[in-house]
Amino acid sequence: MANMKQENVARVIDFLEQNKERDGEVSLTDVMHLAEVMSGSMHDFLSTVQPTVTDELRAIGKEIARMKSEISQLRANDMTGNKIPDAGRELDAIVEATEDATNTIMEAAEEIMGADTSDPEAYQELVSNKMIGIFEACTFQDITGQRISKVVTTLNYIDERVSSFIEHLRIPGDLDAEVEETDEERRKRELILHGPQHDGEGVSQDDIDSMLMDAQADIDKLFD
Amino acid sequence: MALDLQMPVLVVDDYKTMIRIIRNLLKQLGFEDIDDAADGTEALEKMKQRRYGLVISDWNMEPMTGYELLKQVRSDSGLSKTPFIMVTAESKTENVIAAKKAGVNNYIVKPFNAQTLKGKIEAVFSE
Repeated sequence: MANMKQENVARVIDFLEQNKERDGEVSLTDVMHLAEVMSGSMHDFLSTVQPTVTDELRAIGKEIARMKSEISQLRANDMTGNKIPDAGRELDAIVEATEDATNTIMEAAEEIMGADTSDPEAYQELVSNKMIGIFEACTFQDITGQRISKVVTTLNYIDERVSSFIEHLRIPGDLDAEVEETDEERRKRELILHGPQHDGEGVSQDDIDSMLMDAQADIDKLFD
Repeated sequence: MALDLQMPVLVVDDYKTMIRIIRNLLKQLGFEDIDDAADGTEALEKMKQRRYGLVISDWNMEPMTGYELLKQVRSDSGLSKTPFIMVTAESKTENVIAAKKAGVNNYIVKPFNAQTLKGKIEAVFSE
């Protein structure tokens, strides 16, 4: 192997020796000849490393096949084509149902508030009818509860698939790429838009009252 | 500043149901002249055309939020003295601090009841 290397180097040196008087005049044929000498000199090296490279390529091929299998298990098309749109439709239906129910209840309350009370019997009948309407409107809770369960099932399905995908691909926890802030995210940050908080997360009305009562002094304490 | 039930009140919220709820509660409290706007931009336009005795505004609206509306109102010499109550689901401490620094007169977190609204309006006009 060492002799062959020396031999190849000698061929390159010979070529260069033969052409050193050319004073920079190099033709395409010269370049091709040199390329032939160089590739010939690498043949032995490539022959030596080929089995290793082949093994590596085979391993990479296996890994790609495994990843393809994991991706198919993710059922991404089913998620984007069916599961997520279905969940979106359920949420739209929930918004619509709660809005309808709220309107029905508020209309009933407004009619009771604005009703003529001079005729007690007529007033009582109106109130009874409107109360029944309110009870009926409250049945939305049962249906929206079922719709929410379907959405939760979908979220769990997505969570299981994605978690399994991450686990099988052995993706480290700190691999997440930096994501550039979107215009919507920047607006939310600048305008301090957090949305509703869960119980115990935000400040209560009593906390706010005490903050505003002693205004700046209390606010300053929050920074201590 | 005395509480005058005849004064015009501007309710600003992008959620029609909430406008309806606040409007009904204000009527129950005795207010008769109640106007509304769907966001800060519309509210500001209305405020430049009419002098309101009280503004009750949500925070999270588009394109102009209640927080931006508050800052615009306080920076406008003609509107800066208008009493301003924020009624919002934004209940993080930083929101309350920002609103206070911007000059809000009171702050109510959603969901709220009639008694809270009444109490805060009375508090603003007893300052």
